Amino acid sequence: MSVASHMDIDEVITRYHGGRTHLISVLQDLQAEFHWLPPEMLAQVAQKMGVSLAELFGIVTFYKSFRLKPRGKHLITVCMGTACHVRGAPRILRELETQLQISSEETTPDQFCTLETARCLGACALGPIVVCDEEYEGQMTKAKVATLLEHLRKETRP
Amino acid sequence: MRRLQDPATLEQWREQIRQQQRPEKITVCNGTGCHAYGCEKVTRAFVEELEHQKPGRSIEVKATGCHGFCERGPIVTVYPEGIFYQQVKPEDVSEIVRKTVINKEVLERLLYVDPMTGQRVIHESQVPFYQKQQRLLLGANGLIDPTSIEDYVALGGYGALAKVLYGWSAEEVIAEVKRSGLRGRGGAGFPTGLKWELCRQARSDTKYIICNADEGDPGAYMDRSLLEGNPHSVLEGMIIGAYAIGASRGVIYVRTEYPLAVKNVTRALEQAREYGLLGDRILGADFSFDVEIRRGAGAFVSGEETALIASIEGRKAEPRQRPPYPVQRGLWGKPTVINNVETWANVPLIINQGADWYSRIGTEKSKGTKIFSLVGKIHNTGLVEVPMGITLKEIIYEIGGGIPRGKRFKAVQTGGPSGGCIPAELLNLPIDYERLTEAGSMMGSGGMVVMDEDTCMVDVARYFMDFLRDESCGKCLSCREGTERMFEILSRICAGQGRPSDLELLEELAHAVKETSMCGLGQSAANPVLSTLRYFRKEYEAHILQKRCPAAVCREIVSSPCQHACPIGAEVPVYIALIAHGRFAEALEVVRKDNPLPSVCGRVCHHPCEAKCRAGDGGEPIAIRALKRFLTDHAPSLGAPRRAVFPTGERVAIIGSGPAGLTCAAELAQMGYRPTVFEALPVVGGMLAVGIPEHRLPKKILQADIEAIKALGVTIQTNTALGREITLDGLFAQGYKAVFIATGAHKSVRLNIPNEDAEGVLPAMEFLKAVNLNETVKIGPRVGVIGGGNAAVDAARVARRLPGVESVSMIYRRTRNEMPAFAEEIEAALEEGIAIHYLAAPKRVITEENRVKALECVRMKLGPVESSGRRQPLPIAGSEFTLDLDTLLVAISEQPEIALQDSQIRVSPWGTIVVDPETLATDRPGVFAGGDVVTGPKTVIEAMAAGKIAARSIDQYLRGVPLTPEYALTRPSRYLEPSVLSEDELLTARRPPMPVRSSAERIKDFHEVELGLTEEMAVQEARRCLRCDLEIQKSQAQSAREVIAR
Repeated sequence: MSVASHMDIDEVITRYHGGRTHLISVLQDLQAEFHWLPPEMLAQVAQKMGVSLAELFGIVTFYKSFRLKPRGKHLITVCMGTACHVRGAPRILRELETQLQISSEETTPDQFCTLETARCLGACALGPIVVCDEEYEGQMTKAKVATLLEHLRKETRP
Repeated sequence: MRRLQDPATLEQWREQIRQQQRPEKITVCNGTGCHAYGCEKVTRAFVEELEHQKPGRSIEVKATGCHGFCERGPIVTVYPEGIFYQQVKPEDVSEIVRKTVINKEVLERLLYVDPMTGQRVIHESQVPFYQKQQRLLLGANGLIDPTSIEDYVALGGYGALAKVLYGWSAEEVIAEVKRSGLRGRGGAGFPTGLKWELCRQARSDTKYIICNADEGDPGAYMDRSLLEGNPHSVLEGMIIGAYAIGASRGVIYVRTEYPLAVKNVTRALEQAREYGLLGDRILGADFSFDVEIRRGAGAFVSGEETALIASIEGRKAEPRQRPPYPVQRGLWGKPTVINNVETWANVPLIINQGADWYSRIGTEKSKGTKIFSLVGKIHNTGLVEVPMGITLKEIIYEIGGGIPRGKRFKAVQTGGPSGGCIPAELLNLPIDYERLTEAGSMMGSGGMVVMDEDTCMVDVARYFMDFLRDESCGKCLSCREGTERMFEILSRICAGQGRPSDLELLEELAHAVKETSMCGLGQSAANPVLSTLRYFRKEYEAHILQKRCPAAVCREIVSSPCQHACPIGAEVPVYIALIAHGRFAEALEVVRKDNPLPSVCGRVCHHPCEAKCRAGDGGEPIAIRALKRFLTDHAPSLGAPRRAVFPTGERVAIIGSGPAGLTCAAELAQMGYRPTVFEALPVVGGMLAVGIPEHRLPKKILQADIEAIKALGVTIQTNTALGREITLDGLFAQGYKAVFIATGAHKSVRLNIPNEDAEGVLPAMEFLKAVNLNETVKIGPRVGVIGGGNAAVDAARVARRLPGVESVSMIYRRTRNEMPAFAEEIEAALEEGIAIHYLAAPKRVITEENRVKALECVRMKLGPVESSGRRQPLPIAGSEFTLDLDTLLVAISEQPEIALQDSQIRVSPWGTIVVDPETLATDRPGVFAGGDVVTGPKTVIEAMAAGKIAARSIDQYLRGVPLTPEYALTRPSRYLEPSVLSEDELLTARRPPMPVRSSAERIKDFHEVELGLTEEMAVQEARRCLRCDLEIQKSQAQSAREVIAR
């Protein structure tokens, strides 16, 4: 687990001159770099930007994009938009949950993979869609889920 | 770079860019959809290929914004010819460069094929998807590189800004926008000019404008495409707006899920600043304005204007009470105008072309065009830009190309989670703000999700409520708790645990949430529930009262869709699993448990199970019917298993020995009654015996099933007809305690054309019956068949096999796609040399001495879409043609023909018997009716289901208990281990084609055409089953674990 140093956090904060109103942008940039927001980092941000930890925690739990748990090696995002839903996205999610033996928004105990859902990825023509490590996998089926995971696992083998 | 100091330098620069532009270029769509298809590789391949093949002149490769036709990406256009290629892969690129770019040849295989005409289309504008569109905003997307300000300027970009800054007062700009009739494209439709005016009038030294690009509605991505594909058009609109309002700063608030939009907008801002189009003294005028970007962090409610302001200010996106409205007190307490991306993009257009021009587009109150993202169960998924006032039908059928896989349209959802579902009855609705609201939905940001018969409306309502309860900010109790409670009720209904009072409770809650929530999210949160309740109440009731999900979606109710869809509830996943494990005898037992006619159904069932099979989503459904037949082919013995019963000895009369009568008799016998089946004809089986020809259902196969039914204790008496040998009163007098009438529908419906009664014209049903009964049929060498159903195809194929027949042609008024006959039957008929005249309707029979000589037909064309989703056939005047014929067989439809005078049985104007649909009881106590005699011509399995319901009702009647239908959640009686497939098997497994006899051989006789699956094929196919039944088993185990964990 990588935790940002004071230096890193300072650097991100100074990118924005507006201070308090840029709190969300600062958190977004930190997450982009570290994939998640560890508690120590939040404490430091609160202190440096002059907001209470309670308020900061309110913000990071209010917005869906902030991750408060570490992310696995691979990230699989299942689009749960309406178009994907009517084309069977819930079944794709269930299949992934079954295969990975975790629920959505969780990471496998071996940190192999994090499973997330998205409201809508805006690529509805390909629904149901799964994004695996930024690669789009369109028109998913249960069979394609099995092969996708198979490929991921093989790559992780030494 | 130089800053542009005045309009003249802008024009000079524009001229310079235009002169430098080359006519030869290749554009590759780099929109979101195409990205997902891998357009970047295609773009790179073009650059590399051009370097490699060296065409000898400079050709530009342009990565453009979204073209909208996402279904067919990646899209490539070769200029100057404008040749439109679709679904281009990197491996196609070398050939495109060699043939099209260098040698100017068109590559046929990459052209779009118009599904209506079958013609290949060369130019984008000829594709039907684009023809009805009016792409004022999106049109430029396909022409420009969004990262190049030069491309935008070359198309006239920033001309509107120059015009306004040097010649228009702020008030004049506002007046023009007001006059144009532009309304907010974010969904609510507030007049844009008025909003600007209110903000202009607000007194403050500082004012702001905001571009709302927090496109949160799932299924909507038009704002994304505009920002990604043409960011300068939005920016120009914002600068003009800022000038009109007197704002000095602006913010573009973009969803963080749209990284490419953030990137392209950031770049556009830098470029605009560099050229002096943004910042201090824009274009040298006395007006300064700058824009910054803020990324949303994933909260649907931030689309609400006061919540969005809170988010920009670095707080939780919670809305606040209005008034004061943002135009009075907005961002940092200053007057602020918030408009949506698409609204801003309309502004330069209005300034350039004028309000008069703009207001001519659209309806009285809704002006201009609207971009919709047409998604879901639709052929042509993509972004469509249409004038306001276009009908839903035009969008869905003419632009969208209708519903894939021949499914029926059910509803279209507009307005995202705040909107509602619009049913098929309202397909003619012209789209504007007011009409959509009246229909219980709303314009919203423009998502248009098409739903078909496989979409469950209760599940859709539940889906949106799940979304809303999660996205409710929680500030208002009514929204926070109300959405949660509505979700609970909807979940309960979807799980088959709904209560009859739930619908009223839902409505009450929905109105409470609507009336007592502060912001738009809560006020509209009830819409998905209220609109589905308004139009699809029956579907809710089916879930609650009958434990049925008609779309076969709600898994707690359906378990496996095949079993749920089967009218007799056959345990398909169980027998398929047993086949996969090689346990054929056990599998047949499972089939026979529910089905007394397994050999028949294995051949002629219309298999609604396969239509709902989930393996068919993005693949081929499991060959369930063929698997069932495999079992009966390999059976050691047939027949329904005998159940241990206590014989009651009571006698029940069943009139008609078709599938309804036989099933009812078998069920009653198994319950211990003594049923007697009376059959008017000399043979047993009704339509199975006389309507279906030998080549599809051999007599000895049918006989085997019938013998097994007899073995249960069923007596069958042939040559005994109601109204001839027996009467209802007579049967009761003879001691029968109850009667089931299942006499079917055998009488052919007339054509109503001149000379229909001429010699040589006969109903197809009578023809089939005569052949089946080995009666002599007079038939000439040239045979015509009118109709497109299975009976028509059967008649044609039988005629083809008769000695002396030289040619057989069918006449059908629609196209092959609309033919109701099984696809494999149509294919087989064509293979056997039967000609099918599509789009032709009979006009009159031409006779000679009262004998048919020819048939005059008229050519038809497909007209507007009917509410059934099929296009209405219309005659083409003057297109008459004649077919020389000796025999004409008519197979349009059949109706019942029953003698029920003075029997106290109510008959409808269509000749069908009126019954209580849930118990099949007629008005006369002790008399029940079912099958085609009640419904008109339907299918074998539906008639069998009626036989089962009748048996249950008769049992209740004879036991003296009230007639009550029994409904239960669909479940298999046992769970079997799934098959484990290798990766290779997963990828390569395919539905096996049914082995058939060759057409040359089979037309010589009446032997069965289909040969049945081999054991190897059957086991392989059974292994392909997705075993949906296990999902529900897993979820039950899971909830059990959860209970224990608590």
